[in-house]
Amino acid sequence: MVDFARVQKELQECNRDFGVSGIKVIPKNEANLTQLLGTIPGPLGTPYEGGTFNIDINLPDGYPFEPPKMKFATKVWHPNISSQSGAICLDILKDQWSPALTLKTALLSVQALLSAPEPDDPQDAVVAQQYLREYQTYVGTARYWTEAFAKASSLNVEEKVQKLVEMGFPEALVRSALESVGGDENLALEKLCSG
Amino acid sequence: MQNQDASETSVQTSEVDDWANFRDDDILQQQSAIVTEEAGKIPFLGDKEPLTSLAAEYKSGSPILLEKIKLLNEQYAAIRRTRGDGNCFFRSFMFAYLEHILESQDRAEVDRIKTNVEECRKTLLSLGYVEFTFEDFFTLFLEQLESVLSGNEDSISHDELVQRSRDQSISDYVVMFFRFIASGEIKKRSEFYEPFIQGLTNTSVQQFCKSSVEPMGEESDHVHITALSDALGVPIRVVYLDRSHGDKGSSVSVNHHDFTPVACDLTNATSASGSEAVKPFVTLLYRPGHYDILYPK
Repeated sequence: MVDFARVQKELQECNRDFGVSGIKVIPKNEANLTQLLGTIPGPLGTPYEGGTFNIDINLPDGYPFEPPKMKFATKVWHPNISSQSGAICLDILKDQWSPALTLKTALLSVQALLSAPEPDDPQDAVVAQQYLREYQTYVGTARYWTEAFAKASSLNVEEKVQKLVEMGFPEALVRSALESVGGDENLALEKLCSG
Repeated sequence: MQNQDASETSVQTSEVDDWANFRDDDILQQQSAIVTEEAGKIPFLGDKEPLTSLAAEYKSGSPILLEKIKLLNEQYAAIRRTRGDGNCFFRSFMFAYLEHILESQDRAEVDRIKTNVEECRKTLLSLGYVEFTFEDFFTLFLEQLESVLSGNEDSISHDELVQRSRDQSISDYVVMFFRFIASGEIKKRSEFYEPFIQGLTNTSVQQFCKSSVEPMGEESDHVHITALSDALGVPIRVVYLDRSHGDKGSSVSVNHHDFTPVACDLTNATSASGSEAVKPFVTLLYRPGHYDILYPK
């Protein structure tokens, strides 16, 4: 049985200092405190900067003895996060979980993982290999995914593609140009013109 | 591959997706299945058994062990086993301590340990732990402590104490309480524990607490025992049953180690010089990787 009294306190505590941490947890449905949605800002100085990442949280019956189940709902390009499913490879969400941790500290750890990928213990082998072999490509792709999926303006990416395609550039080229400059429309146009 | 039709491919992909999705869940599920299976074999806490049951276990085992068990027989009457789930030290300590209070009705000891528990609460707060993460565990332990004293509304019998120690919703909470206590003590006196931790795992004190003390199921070492004994002010005797020869030259002897809380040392030194050390009332039997409770004669 989930300890709901504790979950309530956790939600209050976490959201109280949202102004400082930027981390938020809300119930998806007020009637059911086992299905939650967490939000973390992408850390500054990383390709995830400026993005807001949603994380699906599912509390198992044994919480807080068992770890919360977390996965990214926002698509993200990171060696320790599945680019397909959003599954997260993080020790504290598995055997290193402790009731001394909270949803907030777990989300802080996820945020720290964004800052410090561990490509030697990958969740997504493709991303991990790119991280190790073509670091700049990794940075570009991660930045583009942040731009495309983790920003309020992300919905506009398709519009940008559309616009550039209408200018006469092939769609595949447009997409790769946008990706390489992290989604900035003007830089992409420059690149397309110079390329 | 090219001959596969689209639907087949998509089914396969989604299976791969599912697999990726639920891999961790599967592992956790499998883990809990193993735990449940183990639970069927031995409860968190077993019944009191005569020491002969220990000898039976090693009937065709090493002669050194049999020799040692014979020696144990001279001093100890019985053993109570605990489940080997990584929490055996804390669980053994929980039962042995509460059983001692229940049988001795030592109210002075209860008052003393409560003071220490209060100290530990302050330690955790000063270390930056959020109160709601540990308060339930503290409350539950203090309730058990009250309940083993007679004359209370909620006083319990010995049988009830055994039942509670087997009930996960109580037993695991008390185990976690002790993990908080040990972790807080280690962090508070990190300069003292650092060299021991370095010797064990070559990690920082913070990392050790995070990965080896606070998660349930992480096994205990002398660092955990020292910390718990110090923080709560409870002496603990650990008797070692392994294949090593004892201290006394060529003849076999059974080693034990007394974990004596720092505070006890001081009281002893000031009260009566050269007096007997505090007699531990928690005695555990250590076999490599596992702790059970021992009952002296």
